[in-house]
Amino acid sequence: MSSTGDTEVVTVKSTRFGEFTVPKDSLIHFPSGLIGFPRAKSFVILEHKPPFSWLHSIEDPNLAFVVIDGAEFGPIYEGKIPYGDRDTELEAGDDYAILIVVTARPDPLQTTANLKAPLFVNVRNKKGVQIIFDDARLSTRHQLWEKKEDIPTSEASDDTGEKK
Amino acid sequence: MSQGLLILTRKPGESIYIGDIKVTVVEVKGPQIRLGIKAPKEVRIYREEIYLQILEENRLAAEGGMSTNAVVEGLTPNFGSSQPANAKASGGLSKLKSSTSLTPKSDGPIIRKKGTNGGSNE
Repeated sequence: MSSTGDTEVVTVKSTRFGEFTVPKDSLIHFPSGLIGFPRAKSFVILEHKPPFSWLHSIEDPNLAFVVIDGAEFGPIYEGKIPYGDRDTELEAGDDYAILIVVTARPDPLQTTANLKAPLFVNVRNKKGVQIIFDDARLSTRHQLWEKKEDIPTSEASDDTGEKK
Repeated sequence: MSQGLLILTRKPGESIYIGDIKVTVVEVKGPQIRLGIKAPKEVRIYREEIYLQILEENRLAAEGGMSTNAVVEGLTPNFGSSQPANAKASGGLSKLKSSTSLTPKSDGPIIRKKGTNGGSNE
């Protein structure tokens, strides 16, 4: 770690990206880790092809998750925001981010998003937690991609008509 | 790292305490047992099947392939809702992203390098 007077940086080792540095204040702390990864407590979010980002472990060079901004899915977590959660100390009025873990597969059509267990990160203190919602409407495997021709033309009222 | 399993016998109406958390046997109906759990709001309580389901999905996601091609011919993202994104949440992610941008070494999609990142190979 070096301090240049501007930003302190942290060096991260990664089996995917080699070695890189990130500003120390970009680190996100998950006091309980992620489910199944209780010891993975420190992460950094890195750019990837939009709408995806990487949530990369600081401690484990081999551990990284592809994530997507939960806001893309609309207000599906309305009323479910974990205010009062002890890990994040999230309070009403706090700015937060919702990260959805993506299970990427070789065939893009099989790539899915885990809407059932989103990650909430408190922007104020950079602390995060993974919460499971026992709600049948939230799938662990929400299919992320669909073929253009399958989309009914009457849907997507706020669509500008531009399709990627 | 072994954890012993503590076996207790309770009758309907009886309870146990785990730390501050109170577990009560509410009712026994045939093969089903109804448990009541009194815990602080922030304590997370999950049915085992659901917990294991998430554990498995996280595990798959962690080792998942690299195919996150955002721009794939003939495909469009399915976000399931045409409503505008939650303003509070959507602002959040951009504030958390590190400014570092990288190229994956292994079989991943190539990321456009925004600036030189000393030491990145291949």
